Amino acid sequence: MRGWWRLGKWTVLIMFLHIIAILIFTKGFLLTRTELPHSSNCSDLSESPCLSSSSCWTKPVVDRLIIIVLDALRFDFVAPSSFFEQKHPWMDKLKVLQRVALEKPSSAKIFKAVADPPTTSLQRLKGLTTGALPTFIDVGNSFGAPAIVEDNFINQLIQNGKRVVMMGDDTWTQLFPNHFNKSYPYPSFNVKDLDTVDNGCIEHLLPSLDEQDWDVLIAHFLGVDHAGHIYGVDSTPMIEKLEQYNAILEKVIEVLQKQSGPGKLHENTLLLVMGDHGQTLNGDHGGGSAEEVETSIFAMSFKDLPSVPSEFDSSSCKLQANNNICISSIQQLDFAVTVSSLLGVPFPFGSIGRVNPELYALAVGTWNLEDNEMGKAQDQIKLEEWMQNYVNVLCINSWQVKRYIDVYSALSVIGFSSEDIFHISDLYAKAEENWLYTKNLLLYKNESYNASLPDLKRQIVAYFNFLSYVAELARSKWTEFNLKMMGTGIGIMLLSLYIHFLAIKKVNKSYGVSLLSSKGSGISFGLMFASFIVVIRACSLLSNSFILGEGKVANFLLATTGIITLRYSFIKKEMLLEATIFLLSTFILRIAIEAGLSKQAATSQFLNVSSAWMLGISISQPVWTYMAETVPILALIILGYFLYKAISSCCCWGIPEYVIMGTILCYLLIALHWATESNVLDLALLLKGIEKNYIPRTIYAIGLIQLSLLAFVLLFSNKETSNYKGSLFVKMIPILSACSSTVIILLGKQGPLVALGSIVAGYCIMRLEGIEQHTVDGAPGISILDPLPIVQWNLLAVCLFFATGHWCAFDGLRYGAAFIGFDEFILVRQAILLAIDTFGFSHILSVFGLPLFVACPSLFNQTGRSRSVSSMKLFRILMMYGLITATTATATILCVAVQRRHLMVWGLFAPKFVFDVVGLILTDVLIFWAFIYYF
Amino acid sequence: MKKEKSSQSTISSSQVFLTHVCCGLVLAVGFWVAHNVYSINLVSDPSNTLCWIWASELPVVILLFSCFRQKQEKCSYLKAIAQGLLGLPAGALLNALGALALGAPIGLQYLEKTLNWSLLMSLFTFVPAASVYGSSWKDWHRIFACTKPNGSLDFMLCLPAHGAVIGAWFGAWPMPLDWERPWQDWPICVSYGAVAGYVVGMVGSFGVSLMRGGQKQLKAE
Repeated sequence: MRGWWRLGKWTVLIMFLHIIAILIFTKGFLLTRTELPHSSNCSDLSESPCLSSSSCWTKPVVDRLIIIVLDALRFDFVAPSSFFEQKHPWMDKLKVLQRVALEKPSSAKIFKAVADPPTTSLQRLKGLTTGALPTFIDVGNSFGAPAIVEDNFINQLIQNGKRVVMMGDDTWTQLFPNHFNKSYPYPSFNVKDLDTVDNGCIEHLLPSLDEQDWDVLIAHFLGVDHAGHIYGVDSTPMIEKLEQYNAILEKVIEVLQKQSGPGKLHENTLLLVMGDHGQTLNGDHGGGSAEEVETSIFAMSFKDLPSVPSEFDSSSCKLQANNNICISSIQQLDFAVTVSSLLGVPFPFGSIGRVNPELYALAVGTWNLEDNEMGKAQDQIKLEEWMQNYVNVLCINSWQVKRYIDVYSALSVIGFSSEDIFHISDLYAKAEENWLYTKNLLLYKNESYNASLPDLKRQIVAYFNFLSYVAELARSKWTEFNLKMMGTGIGIMLLSLYIHFLAIKKVNKSYGVSLLSSKGSGISFGLMFASFIVVIRACSLLSNSFILGEGKVANFLLATTGIITLRYSFIKKEMLLEATIFLLSTFILRIAIEAGLSKQAATSQFLNVSSAWMLGISISQPVWTYMAETVPILALIILGYFLYKAISSCCCWGIPEYVIMGTILCYLLIALHWATESNVLDLALLLKGIEKNYIPRTIYAIGLIQLSLLAFVLLFSNKETSNYKGSLFVKMIPILSACSSTVIILLGKQGPLVALGSIVAGYCIMRLEGIEQHTVDGAPGISILDPLPIVQWNLLAVCLFFATGHWCAFDGLRYGAAFIGFDEFILVRQAILLAIDTFGFSHILSVFGLPLFVACPSLFNQTGRSRSVSSMKLFRILMMYGLITATTATATILCVAVQRRHLMVWGLFAPKFVFDVVGLILTDVLIFWAFIYYF
Repeated sequence: MKKEKSSQSTISSSQVFLTHVCCGLVLAVGFWVAHNVYSINLVSDPSNTLCWIWASELPVVILLFSCFRQKQEKCSYLKAIAQGLLGLPAGALLNALGALALGAPIGLQYLEKTLNWSLLMSLFTFVPAASVYGSSWKDWHRIFACTKPNGSLDFMLCLPAHGAVIGAWFGAWPMPLDWERPWQDWPICVSYGAVAGYVVGMVGSFGVSLMRGGQKQLKAE
């Protein structure tokens, strides 16, 4: 046991360092927010100190709302070119918006809308509708599906009986699967298609304007976004798109103006033309640069309205064609709450925005005018009236935000700090103190108007202070990376790599072998080549394209090492067959990886893989279905036969033998399970009595029993076997077989084939191990371990991960695997099954299979070596494997930190980071277990 | 004459220079003619361009390297040419298999491109050695497996061949990038890499022959 600890302390130390580094880095990088399931109701308002109106929270001031979303609408597409230093060809194309804003400054206005990163459409739509700041990981109970579970403004509309019509980008229907009365979704993932979504929108938009069956209409155009991605902003397709939009908007405004008279359909309609985010000149978006976050909202109501008091006016004006055109600014955060207040629905529960005074003013006058017709003459009275309404809306707004903050900090795992909470409460209390006084003013408003004006202004300022502080706090918590923490994490990670390296070196020294080569003269080619492969793989992670094609890259490198070993076997003139088989198996792996890639392409918005290599094999042919049914079962039988041979040939006795027998039984059960599922053999009738879930459950149970038996053996047998390598082999086979049955049934029919393939490839790697060494040394001396086979084994594990149909994204998880054997969802149980499926081959089996390189050569060339040498060798192998995994994970972390403002940071880099980090910690834990088990 | 008999593999650096310059020139002229006469290039029509280049390079390489054939008493000039011609498809097969193992696209529409590319690669790697050494396994083993060339001739065969293969390997790296440039398709950038590596190999081989020539002169003095 002491011997174990002498080596094992290194693994514990390294694991500890990795966990610390990852935790610190993650805290700085992956911003998390807890989604709350609460939602606001009309009746909630009675808890607030504010004045309640006859209807719901606020008095509805707009009857119908038209939201036209132009994806990736840059601010300078809308704003007049006079606002910018230089005029570019893509400016001033949406002329109709500028013209209307110029002609009717009180009822139409252009806003500069500032979005919050991440500026990807999905996150922005989430932000726009919930009024919150979506982060990369919104911790909630949506397991894979992107549907919004938080309270949002669409949800409020439905709850309050408004009818919503949607057309365009199908992201909306993913986010709100059952919310729309009518929807005309069009697929959004084909970036090269500029027109399908837009034409679909146009087809339905204009006819819908004359319909009466909706209250809110959403039309989402994608052409500008796609044109940007493909051609960039400064391109003809982009300008054509903008001109097309201009024509459509002209028509829409014309129709609305025609219908805007009293009693007509669009008497009380508000038109919003807005972008969800901006884009850079190359058409990228996702990050937080000014070009990406600055988009625009054009709002237009069809009435003449009072102007906002100058204190709350954020607009900047420029002289244009002898007229002043003013552009205000709005935070995208404020959108949901402002629109909710205009439509008179409760504000979304999680919104932290504030009702924007200017956007509110654009529409609010409509009921003002009706209410007191004689007030028309007096601007001052109108203004005061407006402010009284606005101050009450703000009161509701502040109360709602305070309620959210309170509930959030009570329920969330990582809430706000108590200091911040105290400051928020303080600001809110100050605003409330004033409110009691202001409320009286509002209740008895017959008093002189002029006197109350300063009080109202003070009240508004107090609410503004509170709301802006909350927004600022939320921003710092949910949208900004903490660079210091990220740097610390990277530093610790690098330190752990150094310690890892030191550990390997020290163990080598204690056994009197230098790391570099047996003669200590220079670095061996194998080590150099192995490090080259690891480094080039690490560098490849810097680019999103290589992350996307990571399986292919790993396979490319694996094949390269295969070619190199083939060369060595030519030099040695031996084991040519093994080297060739190894290359062949990489080729087969590569086909499997490409099949996985084509599956990924179907769902990924970034990937376009032509599945051209499939030579037109139609799966429906009976021969193929027959093959697909029988081949996996055949492979299973071959695997079982291998195990049987292992029992009979090896000196297995006692419990290990029973464990292996159990696995063979499992294989039979799996074969039976698949046979009952298939249509070819009508076994289903035969086993009608047995529910289909029993077999998988039995297999899980047998697997658990096997593992506990092995643990039992480990604890209670202290037999020192003379042949250490033999005992290693005896230990390795049972644990591999015990794990394999569960992994195989989770992976489905590809499982046994992949297992066979990895056994063949592993055998070849093991046989070819040290082939380079012999040539360098001339005669086989003390065979120090060549790192190349370990690198190959690692690459093979990576390839297996991709070949089994996984990829580093959350939609790459095979959710179906979590429900093999179970029908109902229990988070922990299903998560464990999913983890076993995802990391089964690539991590669990490959780490436990590592002793192959120590145990097996002895079976082929019987050179007796002492126990200490081979245990040192095993230690080195495990440590080296860990080092390679850690190097890759460190590279991922570095790349993620470097690319944190990249377009695809949330789409690609962050999922890759999560997978690598989880994989690294899992590898550490498994190596630790392997230590306990094998030593 | 006496010297040539004693050690046939010895060739002067001027011969090396001439051979490489011829190969390089024909390659360059091939590209030039393809671009200006047939108005095709690697990007617009990869398979035809590759086909034209290997077809124009083939006679030059075989005729030139057959002059350096080993065991001249046993092996006639014509036989060396025949060996070179036989080496072409054999080398192409090996190159194609290597490329497929490394991830070249499979599929009928890529067949022509892969074929032409591997013929060109074969011309860079196998054909010269086939012309010179024929089927002498020992020599092949020495040059390509052990990488222990001895003599300028071996270097002349070994360095450009390895250069072409390594160049092609590096040339494959830009392929997965999402730049959406036409030259990222198989086998365009790989061919560029191979040609670049080949040229570097030729320069290296000439440098080695110069150095060895200098050393020999020193020794002779």
